[in-house]
Amino acid sequence: MKPISKWIHVLGITGLVLLFVGSWIGLFVAPSERFMGDVQRIMYVHVPTAWNAMLGYTFAFAFAVASLWTSRPKWDSAVTATIEVSLLLNALLLVQGSIWARATWGVWWDWDVRLTTSLIMLLLFAGVLAMRSFVQDPDRKATWTAVAAIVAYIDVPMVYFCVRWWRSLHQVQSTPETVSSSMILPLRMNAFALLFLGIWMVVYRARLETLRRRQDQVAEPARLASVGGMEDV
Amino acid sequence: MSEGVIIGGWNYVIAAYSITATGLILYAWSLVARYRRSTRDNED
Repeated sequence: MKPISKWIHVLGITGLVLLFVGSWIGLFVAPSERFMGDVQRIMYVHVPTAWNAMLGYTFAFAFAVASLWTSRPKWDSAVTATIEVSLLLNALLLVQGSIWARATWGVWWDWDVRLTTSLIMLLLFAGVLAMRSFVQDPDRKATWTAVAAIVAYIDVPMVYFCVRWWRSLHQVQSTPETVSSSMILPLRMNAFALLFLGIWMVVYRARLETLRRRQDQVAEPARLASVGGMEDV
Repeated sequence: MSEGVIIGGWNYVIAAYSITATGLILYAWSLVARYRRSTRDNED
């Protein structure tokens, strides 16, 4: 197996530097918001986390379709990797949102439509990985993972559009026209930072999945032989 | 004068950034550790 490309490491380091600089600008350079004051600075990490979590799930959906279409193991590794990394971002998103909610709404949690659909998104994709761990046969594992990921993805557009479709405590999406230009720079820097770091993580996790599949392929004949041996006894 | 405006709140901001950084670092560390272990096992 070829080693991981140095460009992936360059991307990861770039992401790390961007995240540090973007957060620094967001915390100490960008102006505080008129009503929320300094608490609004959570936005510079919360919104990029949300964007990248949903982008990751969208790639998982595309990889799941490719996995079903071609039955090639590399797409199955990609589905697993993107779901796991997106789950991390989804979990961080909920924690950041909860902290922001406590500071602005006075509660850690509310069964608001945006918060609830985001939690459902986490549970659905965590369920996909949990289900995957119970399936032994690699082909069946890949098929079931892909189908479950496609079904779970139904919730992702709901997370994005729910604030427009239903009444919500959560604000609707901002646009560059509705956000001060001095706030856009750290927001975009952190968005690209998490994207680059996410790609680095997905590549590592996908490689790990491929390595595990190879180990299973080596271990399986030995296991079957031992089971056969037992039956002979 | 300051009605409807949130004063302070840096503790919430620090908590959000710290948890995010910790989550990302721990996951990246676990990923590299699992990858190295798996590479070593594959070579054996």
